[in-house]
Amino acid sequence: MPPTEYDIVIIGSGPAGATTARVAAKLGLRVLMVDKRQELGAPIQCSGAVSRHALEACGVIPVAEFIHESIYGFGIYNVAGEKTTIDYRQLKPSEYGHQNGQKPLGYVVDRRRFDRHLMTLAERAGAEVWLKTEGLSYQTDGSEYCQIQLRRFNQPIQVKAKVLVGADGLQSQVGKWAGLRTHIKITELASCLQFIVDGVKTDGLLEIITGHHWAPGGYAWVFPKGHGYAEIGLGVICTMTKKNAQWHLDQFMQQSFFKERFQNARILEIQGGGVPLAAPLRTQYAEQVILVGDAARHVNPVTGGGIHTALSGGVIAGEFLAKLIKSGAPATAENLKGYQDSWLDQLGHKMWQLYEEKTQIFRTDDIDERDRLLFQTMSQYFSPYSEYKKI
Amino acid sequence: MSKEAVIFKIGWNACINCGACVAICPQEAGFISAFDTIAVDTPCDIACMLCEDICPVTTITHVAAVNGNGVF
Ligand SMILES: Cc1cc2nc3c(=O)[nH]c(=O)nc-3n(C[C@H](O)[C@H](O)[C@H](O)COP(=O)(O)OP(=O)(O)OC[C@H]3O[C@@H](n4cnc5c(N)ncnc54)[C@H](O)[C@@H]3O)c2cc1C
Ligand code: SF4
Ligand code: SF4
Repeated sequence: MPPTEYDIVIIGSGPAGATTARVAAKLGLRVLMVDKRQELGAPIQCSGAVSRHALEACGVIPVAEFIHESIYGFGIYNVAGEKTTIDYRQLKPSEYGHQNGQKPLGYVVDRRRFDRHLMTLAERAGAEVWLKTEGLSYQTDGSEYCQIQLRRFNQPIQVKAKVLVGADGLQSQVGKWAGLRTHIKITELASCLQFIVDGVKTDGLLEIITGHHWAPGGYAWVFPKGHGYAEIGLGVICTMTKKNAQWHLDQFMQQSFFKERFQNARILEIQGGGVPLAAPLRTQYAEQVILVGDAARHVNPVTGGGIHTALSGGVIAGEFLAKLIKSGAPATAENLKGYQDSWLDQLGHKMWQLYEEKTQIFRTDDIDERDRLLFQTMSQYFSPYSEYKKI
Repeated sequence: MSKEAVIFKIGWNACINCGACVAICPQEAGFISAFDTIAVDTPCDIACMLCEDICPVTTITHVAAVNGNGVF
């Protein structure tokens, strides 16, 4: 049997891949999306905070299936525990709150259910999805279709596509297959650990704790997780500390100004991951290949948030590919550059600015001054007047 | 690079499958174990040790690989 032909094959069904698949399929492309996992989103490598605006702007209606808890604002702390509160229930009570007619600012989602939901939306839009299917390699030979090797429940399978989309997350191999420069510097990948706990109170705010003493190179967080649970975590840059994230998290829970608040914390889940506080890839396309989401380092370099940027990147990629493929133009690297240009216009240039800001902060040698800058930047970032509010 | 090749060992009991080691690794594509960590059965000749540094629970260790085959 000759290999099945698709317009696009997407490797990875996270927020980036599933959104690319949904948008492209809705616009009439033949789409195959594969993911090597048996249950999307698991093991969880994410805290799950995402704004309502981000979901709605990308065509995802917030539903109970994936929402752990609604969020109404932020609490930003400096190293000593002084707090800037940005509570939209007080700032804009006509819009934000729990009452009828009011809405949440955002949500903490369950990535297992969220990713499954996004996959369902893609399937309902007409995309074909295979789980337990790993992308292994691809070849281009200058013809209309590239060849892609997959393994599905141990079976080797070959398929053909006009464009291969690498939405395979931070550990992206597709970028390496295509010879793109995907390497992240050790000074720009935060090593993160988080506990889901019972016995710690929260109040509808995402709490962010800055300060080199607690989380060198990154920050710590306390998020509401629904059902009375909370999520306590942090990320560190390993070149800025001799200890690992686990040590810092223990230290934060036992020694910080929150130690009384945390004293009855009982750990229900343990999760971790890497967060690139890096610049987006300079080149996110190659011959018949594009990258989207974490694979292209579409992550906010100040907050480390990557769900919104993965969703938006997916919309941009899906729309661009539909237009290109329907026009009959070949998917050469030259033509696919248009995807990156469009992404830069809509999102990327702002992310580069954020990257410059973040770099300035962490280039400051004086620890007190650096702490002050990070606290100030975080406080401004989440304020209603931030120019970056929509990233 | 004149660094000695190494073979990695992962303490699976502590590994939380976070993928950070793979994300930082400059090896060519496919240097991955069946559990989505860096490879454990193949010698690494780059030996930059970034995977060990990034691991949030410090559960990666190494031994010198001899003739590319490793001493287990
Ligand atoms: C500890 C932690 C906390 C975070 N907290 C937040 C937060 O609160 N808010 C926020 O916005 N962001 C957060 N992030 C970032 C966010 O998780 C990512 O930016 C987001 O998941 C990126 O989505 P993606 O679709 O690009 O990739 P992913 O979600 O990583 O999806 C990639 C998919 O590709 C699949 N895959 C990989 N390789 C292959 C292959 N060869 N074949 C088949 N399938 C493959 C994987 O199985 C996976 O399903 C956090 C990250 C970490 C580590
Ligand atoms: S030592 Fe460096 S190159 Fe070798 S596996 Fe670890 S991170 Fe990869
Ligand atoms: S970085 Fe450590 S905990 Fe994470 S997957 Fe690799 S070995 Fe496991």
